[in-house]
Amino acid sequence: MAVNTIIPAIGFGIVTASILAVAGVGFTLQFGVTNILNLAYGDIMTAAAFIAYLVTSAGLSVWLALVAGAAFGSVFSVLLNRCIYTPFVRRGTRLFGMIIVTIAVSLMVQNGLLAIFGANFFSLKMSRPAPVHIAGMVFTTVQLAIIAIAVVAMLLIHLLLRYTKLGKAMRATAADPDLARNCGIATDRVIDLAWAISGALCGLAGVILVMNVTAFTDTTGAQFLIPIVAVAVLGGIGQPYGAMLGALVIGITSEVAAAIFNPEYKDVVAFVILVIVLLARPQGILSEVATRKEVAA
Amino acid sequence: MSVAWQFYISTVLIYLGVDVIACWGLNLQFGVAGLVNFAFIIFQAAGAYTAAVLTLGPAEPASQGGFQQYVGGAHLPFPLPILAAGLVGGLLAALVSGVTVRRLRSDYEAMVMLVVSLIATSVATNQVGLVNGPNGLALVPKPLSTLVNLSPIDYQWVFVGLTAAICVCVYWVVHIVTSAPLGRTLRAVRDNEQAAAALGKNVTGLRMLAFILGGVIAGISGAVLVEFISAWSPGSWLYPETFVYFTAVIVGGSGNNLGVMVGALLVPVAFLEATRFLPPFGPPGLIDALQWIVVGALALIFLWFWPRGVIPERRRRFPVPAKDEVPVGTGK
Repeated sequence: MAVNTIIPAIGFGIVTASILAVAGVGFTLQFGVTNILNLAYGDIMTAAAFIAYLVTSAGLSVWLALVAGAAFGSVFSVLLNRCIYTPFVRRGTRLFGMIIVTIAVSLMVQNGLLAIFGANFFSLKMSRPAPVHIAGMVFTTVQLAIIAIAVVAMLLIHLLLRYTKLGKAMRATAADPDLARNCGIATDRVIDLAWAISGALCGLAGVILVMNVTAFTDTTGAQFLIPIVAVAVLGGIGQPYGAMLGALVIGITSEVAAAIFNPEYKDVVAFVILVIVLLARPQGILSEVATRKEVAA
Repeated sequence: MSVAWQFYISTVLIYLGVDVIACWGLNLQFGVAGLVNFAFIIFQAAGAYTAAVLTLGPAEPASQGGFQQYVGGAHLPFPLPILAAGLVGGLLAALVSGVTVRRLRSDYEAMVMLVVSLIATSVATNQVGLVNGPNGLALVPKPLSTLVNLSPIDYQWVFVGLTAAICVCVYWVVHIVTSAPLGRTLRAVRDNEQAAAALGKNVTGLRMLAFILGGVIAGISGAVLVEFISAWSPGSWLYPETFVYFTAVIVGGSGNNLGVMVGALLVPVAFLEATRFLPPFGPPGLIDALQWIVVGALALIFLWFWPRGVIPERRRRFPVPAKDEVPVGTGK
């Protein structure tokens, strides 16, 4: 296989990995802290993308759209957890029941967007991107911005988790909620904040996802869900650093596979990685938490 | 009754039959054995494709005017395509369960199945030579239509009878399975896997058995459906369709065959048919979108208020044996 197909594919892979990293870290944080596999995550991304679409259509800048998308994702996620997920968990809905709940929410959000915006293709109004050549790879300025946004977001998350009290509290809650509560951590507040932060990443990911495509629909985010879950599972549930690594692996592998084989099977690569990891090493590549969370019996 | 109404009612009855069969299959897997098969719809799809291909006859190459490509075409007489569909559904289930029925946490199991469902859709859509890709198969001849010379409406009623007969057969099987010791063992595995294993039950084997039986039943339901509507494409079996069946099983009462039948009547049939009688409003696609929102809401409402469904699973009580009595089932 010629190198001149693979190198540009790695370039695409880095862009995809950036989007996946933002989305995957948000997903894994929230799953790690709350233990709810939120299958509506992709649809919240789409909803944030539509918010960004409204902002750019109103003639405002795309940077403002990013902020609006992240803010929307944050607020929506907190409300979703407060109004639907937590009440169901308190009522004793078990793991399987929660899957049905999150899929129901996913279908409702997706079809709600379809009902409001209609079955059309949408795109963000941005200034025309210019191509930039770096080491045999071609990026547009928009793609470079996406990579930069992802790097900044990852750095912020790193600082938050490593150096703030909240970060420590979140890690403690993820590792053992009962023990954390007994140590005087207000786990309810930590969980709220986890939803808020992961929701912000989710919204941000939704907006950068649609910045990178020419057009999006009501199902764009949902189609991205499986690669996100693959990233989170590959990295080990609740392991933000694992998710960052997982995003690089899955982003680059799927784009290179698309260049070598059939582009139609780009997603299948992520699917297959996910299934193999779940069956062979469900605790992920970097995790010791997952085994305690009974992910793997 | 006017002919139009007869057509409508017979069509609804056939759909009901198909949904009831499918829900019994899913109930066997989910309600009785506790398997979270979010790829349920692909077994129905596999059955439908099998029945279609085995009724259509060998594919004609495009150069001779053939407009659809598929593998393994044959002209088999009537009941054989349906039986073959059950067989293929079961084989596919054996394959999938051999790889996936492990001891994963149930939300992860659901996730794996969801992914399997998406992979299947992707393969069926992109491997055009397999089952004619995104366009799917069409013009599947109706069973017995060349043998019996009936008016279209009489044929509809014949098909209703046929569907009912298949329903009875499937019910007989699921009833036997669920009321026999096998059903009790499956419930035991569902409720407390460790305890069942400690009593010497082959937990993995039992789960696989339930999965395969459910796959056979799903395949049959797909076959009946495709023989009736005579077309089948990837658009007919996207993963949200599985969610409809899950909603039906939960609404009806998971673990209870009768309840599940009521669920099939309420959710896929009554609920989705009712919108036909609404005057059309809004842009195209709006009613579909609202339908999905309502199905999602229905699932949430039932999980909140009646998580055991309309007709809950019967609580089984067994008398405590007297001291000097030998307990039933200890053998010797």
